[in-house]
Amino acid sequence: MEKTNDVILSIKDLKVNIRIDEGTLTAVRGVDFDIRRGETLGLVGESGCGKSLTSKAILGINDKKCKAEGEINFDADDLGWVNLLSLNPRGKEIRSVRGKQISMIFQEPMVAFSPMYTIGNQINEATLLHITKDKKKAKEISLGVMKKVGIANAEKRYDQYPHEFSGGMLQRALIAMALVCNPKLLIADEPTTALDVTIQAQILELMKELQKDFGMSILFITHDLGTVARMCDRVAVMYLGRIVETAPATEIYKNPQHPYTQGLIGSVHKIGTKAQERLFSIEGTVPLALNLPAGCGFYERCHRRIEGVCNVYDPQLVDVGGGHQIACFACTGCPNAGKEENA
Amino acid sequence: MSKGDQILDIQHVHMRFASKGLVVKAVTDVSFPVMEGETIGIVGESGCGKTTLGRCIVRAYEPSEGKVMYTAADGQTIDFLQIDKATMKKYRKEIQMIFQDPYSSLDPRMTVYDIIKEPLVANFPKMPKKEIERRVMEIAEKVGLNTTYLKRYPHAFSGGQRQRIGIARALVISPRVIVCDEAVSALDVSIQAQVINLLHDLQKELGLTYLFISHDLSVVEYISDKVGVMYLGKMVEFAETRSLFSHPMHPYTESLLSAVPVADPTVKSERIPLEGEIPNPANPPSGCHFHTRCRFCTEKCKREVPEYQELEPGHYVACHRAQELTLRGFTYE
Repeated sequence: MEKTNDVILSIKDLKVNIRIDEGTLTAVRGVDFDIRRGETLGLVGESGCGKSLTSKAILGINDKKCKAEGEINFDADDLGWVNLLSLNPRGKEIRSVRGKQISMIFQEPMVAFSPMYTIGNQINEATLLHITKDKKKAKEISLGVMKKVGIANAEKRYDQYPHEFSGGMLQRALIAMALVCNPKLLIADEPTTALDVTIQAQILELMKELQKDFGMSILFITHDLGTVARMCDRVAVMYLGRIVETAPATEIYKNPQHPYTQGLIGSVHKIGTKAQERLFSIEGTVPLALNLPAGCGFYERCHRRIEGVCNVYDPQLVDVGGGHQIACFACTGCPNAGKEENA
Repeated sequence: MSKGDQILDIQHVHMRFASKGLVVKAVTDVSFPVMEGETIGIVGESGCGKTTLGRCIVRAYEPSEGKVMYTAADGQTIDFLQIDKATMKKYRKEIQMIFQDPYSSLDPRMTVYDIIKEPLVANFPKMPKKEIERRVMEIAEKVGLNTTYLKRYPHAFSGGQRQRIGIARALVISPRVIVCDEAVSALDVSIQAQVINLLHDLQKELGLTYLFISHDLSVVEYISDKVGVMYLGKMVEFAETRSLFSHPMHPYTESLLSAVPVADPTVKSERIPLEGEIPNPANPPSGCHFHTRCRFCTEKCKREVPEYQELEPGHYVACHRAQELTLRGFTYE
């Protein structure tokens, strides 16, 4: 396993299988990506595309029914360059990573907190586990982080319960909980989806500022292309358990190549532009990832599909320069197809 | 009656809820006219009263005060809030609603056919079975549902398909006004685009009037002819879409617009931050409700309630300083 300087997390051919009554459903079907130090990678896709499963696989907190295969290599503090999937999911090693070096912000702050404990108590949990056994010190650290994420009146708030917080404040508390151990990588799973636009803007700005202070990397998972544009350096677009296109953020908006990415960007109206008569829409719906036919997962809904190629061969990510990779035969051509037919 | 005539006139609607000895003013003195065939967008943050307003208009709630003057298909103008049960039966079918959550607004124990059929049976008890079937099939096809699947139950359908079922149910009795309460908010963007296009096509074909309630400003800007902005139960600004988005006249609208994430990383928007959070609606601030978070606040704003007035033709604002301020909106190409 070679480690390049900047990369702190490298995922190779990650697959997540889920056992269901009808058989095995492969929800993540071979995902590769790297995250570099200090960068924000946006993982974009619609519901059911496997983006949350991917992020949970990194921490090893997927449901028992899910089985992850492949490699998730992480530059851990004590362990060096290590494949997280090879560690015992209940063992000591992964626990020294989970919550400390990699932490996560969950989608719905109302659900992520236990209603039975005070906010301070819940933020302390991570501190007491990873940093210090001294409760007084832990409280000090927690209060410091609470202030940092902009919770006014932190001393009073520390002893309050989640129901006494508004949605935006609770999301701040959740961020405080994730940051209290100063992680290298923060996974943010739709952190602002449940919030109003004004609060959403506040939280996104806060995350950006904190990223500068803490120097961490962020894996930002969302279906909202607007927040991605605001937050991310690079974007990976996921469809049906695969990454179909990845590029620097500016490039993906200026020059989207994959028909799915184009559809995704075209279906969002931009304020200030002349309204088209109709919004661009991708026909059909995402198929169930059970017994998928051969070829590209987007075949049925694609307006550029090439019969005999796209429904036969599986497209892989191809580099087209400038850090832009596309998995689409219609965009990059299909050299293999010709050869195999001749042979 | 032709397109462009006034179809609804909402006049000074108030809605107060009593809870634990407190009175929560969910909607306070909201008035605006609606023309036939147009789409009115209502925006605001959660808790601003936009859903309550929508429910007052269809009379799902009984508003505490106010009038909803409705000009019916037969040319009569009635106060929708005052009419008795028998008259209600006659007119209610002309105003329908599409709900927010396609997962909880459909009965899981009814087949899709029965769900779409229900309003017909309720409103036209004497309609022959054949005619009912014909109408259900026709409307299902119109909204893009596969008619061979109508005997299935809602759980077998995806979110976008379910929202189509909700739309078919609202349309089957040929309403004239539809209140869409966050009708596309729960859907993925590609499906959202499909449903918005569908609503658009149906409006053109059937001449429908929409009241489109949403917190998503991009969608509202796309679909609406006029937009109303609500804050803490009050309408603070109401104008033609272009006018409101390009030159907002209320500081709240300005902040709201500046917070919209634009799907283009080259657009660096300067957000105008809002201090603090929405005050408790059971105990709203004195004077202008917005003064606690307004960057232009003066002593007068803390004392006096600003009047909701027409400052430019068709542009209504409730702000003491609206005329002296130059606020920033979106630049149109």
